[in-house]
Amino acid sequence: MEQDKSIIVLPTGVTGRMDVGRLVREVDALDQFLEQAAVRKPGTPMQMPKTSKLLDEMLETNKINALVEDDRKRLLNFLITVRAKAPVMHMSFSADPAPLFTQKLVTWLRDNIHPLVLLHVGIQPNIGAGCIVRTTNKQFDLSLKQDFAKQHPLLMAKIHGSVQEVSHE
Amino acid sequence: MEMWELGLILGMLLAATVAFIWLALNIGSGAKNKKNPNDAFTEQAEKDVEHIFNDDFREELRNRGRLHFEKIIGENAMFLQQDLRLTTSQLNEFMKTEITRKLQEEFAKYEESITDAKQLAIDSINKTQEAIEQQRKMMSQQLSQELANEKARLIHRFEENMADIINHYVLAAIGDQIDLNDQLEYILSDLETNKEAIIRDITDGAG
Repeated sequence: MEQDKSIIVLPTGVTGRMDVGRLVREVDALDQFLEQAAVRKPGTPMQMPKTSKLLDEMLETNKINALVEDDRKRLLNFLITVRAKAPVMHMSFSADPAPLFTQKLVTWLRDNIHPLVLLHVGIQPNIGAGCIVRTTNKQFDLSLKQDFAKQHPLLMAKIHGSVQEVSHE
Repeated sequence: MEMWELGLILGMLLAATVAFIWLALNIGSGAKNKKNPNDAFTEQAEKDVEHIFNDDFREELRNRGRLHFEKIIGENAMFLQQDLRLTTSQLNEFMKTEITRKLQEEFAKYEESITDAKQLAIDSINKTQEAIEQQRKMMSQQLSQELANEKARLIHRFEENMADIINHYVLAAIGDQIDLNDQLEYILSDLETNKEAIIRDITDGAG
């Protein structure tokens, strides 16, 4: 049970480094608020800060109680570490992907590539379909344009065949 | 026969004619002008002669001499006329022959000159035509080469950019109908294909 508590995973809603940074700021603000609340006079009215949907998902996924200082510190440290060291993949699409699409993609990436991988989404309208993936040192062109380029000999053979058929006719 | 020979013959004929006329005239008047010397015998003889050669006799002699002279004059005039006609005829023939020969020579030279000029013109025209033909062939070859190069360049460029052309065409034709959600499976399969390389780069090349 203690070991389960130490493992924190990123929910699928947290995709990029910006999301992580936003969570860091939010958890830090929450931590400061609760520290200040701890030294308040009993009976003083106070209003709890509202947490974002992303933080709620984070807390819920990892069963973290934000009111417990150790959990907050652990979460904050985890998020800071992730923001600093987690691998980032850049993926470019022809259009802005829908959140559900991004979540499915991130799920696959965290299941198959790295559990803490972060995704940065870009747009390149000229690639047609597919995507271009850029990791730390490499770029993988998985676009339709690249597919056409790979199939260039086949395409030329087809075109030449069509031209010859037309010539014979 | 040269012109100076012709002139010499004419001059000789003219001189003979003048000399003959002068001689005839002197013969007629010479008898009257002659005076015997102072010799008495001579006068006597003259007187005797005058008796013999009286006026009638003298008149008779004069008439005979005149007739004889006229006859000689007539004969010579006839000969002269014949010679003149012959000379004129020969002269005409000679002139005709010479003029014809000269004309033929000049015409031959003229024809030769014309032939040479014509040949020169033909040679020049032939050379010009050959040069034009060579230029035409060269230009034709250059044009064909340029066309072939341009065609090859266009085909090469077309083939080289074929992927872009097809991609552009697909995008223009069905770009709006390609939904990212429909591509998810395709993208995931591509990622699966490159999964090892991505993991290796993230793991080993993290920096």
